[in-house]
Amino acid sequence: MSYSDKVIDHYNNPRNVGSMDKNSTDVGTGLVGAPECGDVMKLQIKVNPATSVIEDAKFKTFGCGSAIASSSLATEWVKGKTVDQALAIKNMDIVKELSLPPVKIHCSVLAEDAIRAAIGDWKKKQESGKPVAAEAK
Amino acid sequence: MTTKSTLTAISPKPLPEGTHTCWSCGSMRAAHFCESCGKVQPPTPVDYFTFFGLPPKLTVDVAALEKEFYELSRRLHPDLNARAGSREQEWSLEQSSMLNDAYRTLRDPIKRTEYLLHLEGVALEEQSKSATERARATGEIKKQIVPPDLLEEVFELNMQLEELRMNKKMGEDDPALTAEISQHKHALEAKHEALLQELETYWTDWDNLIDRSFLDQNQGSKAPAEERAKITAKMVDVLNRRNYIRNLVRDVNVALED
Repeated sequence: MSYSDKVIDHYNNPRNVGSMDKNSTDVGTGLVGAPECGDVMKLQIKVNPATSVIEDAKFKTFGCGSAIASSSLATEWVKGKTVDQALAIKNMDIVKELSLPPVKIHCSVLAEDAIRAAIGDWKKKQESGKPVAAEAK
Repeated sequence: MTTKSTLTAISPKPLPEGTHTCWSCGSMRAAHFCESCGKVQPPTPVDYFTFFGLPPKLTVDVAALEKEFYELSRRLHPDLNARAGSREQEWSLEQSSMLNDAYRTLRDPIKRTEYLLHLEGVALEEQSKSATERARATGEIKKQIVPPDLLEEVFELNMQLEELRMNKKMGEDDPALTAEISQHKHALEAKHEALLQELETYWTDWDNLIDRSFLDQNQGSKAPAEERAKITAKMVDVLNRRNYIRNLVRDVNVALED
């Protein structure tokens, strides 16, 4: 199977590889996996609590070229978006952008799951943070 | 997929219309041969369980299956039917080929389970995709098929493997890291083994359900689709985790050998 130029580009020059402190209250972490291929994908976002804008995103993926490209693209796309805007990203958007073949659609599903999981983790932190702050006052 | 609808009727079931009688002597026939004249019969499109005259249950007497397999392969062997008509030869060839597929699938515990899931119409990838779509629509968090602690473990081990590969590239040796990875691998292999035992408990659940639905069917009620789905979902979950671990152990072996 041949990869599209965009996949190869993301594979050779992945954007935003790295990690952030998962214990920071501004950071949301999404860790997802696809058992059929053994891929595992970690995507982290740093959100401005005042504006809900995703200021930074990092990823680390162990898997095939399509999985790496999908998560690399996902970090590029979420950066600068608000949390709600990022939630509107659909896996088929990634499929189109990277021209993924049908057998690699699950890679894009994984990337969307990772975005959602990261945002979910961040939201949970914000909710659990509130009552403590209220009590402190 | 035709196999799915045949399964809901669940064997022992009547053969398709027009195949009840021997093509040669007109007697009622057994599955593969005429009981009366012994001639090979044209293959009928049945699932592998039905091919062996078995109910679609997951606890299989493999020794008995093997015996049946050898008996059938002897009788269906194309050489044995060399003097028969070309139609019969063709049928025995087709039956032999199906026999081999059926036996290879049913004797292996994992293949057998996967085959049953296939008959039940379980499509793993489709399931994951529709769960993502549901999460998108409802805003709820999608439940990952792989439990979070296993994902953490997989991620950590992959990080270590990356380090190991990097070290090797640089010509460096880190015995402590290698030892840690090997230890991790053994733990995973034990988990892999334990998952098979867990799977077997769901076989029992499934087999009991099939036994019960036979009784219910006699009273004219429908097969309990919800209960079936509940058990198959558990089996899918175990197989997913098992596949994950198997792939990981394979990666570890490659990295350690390189």
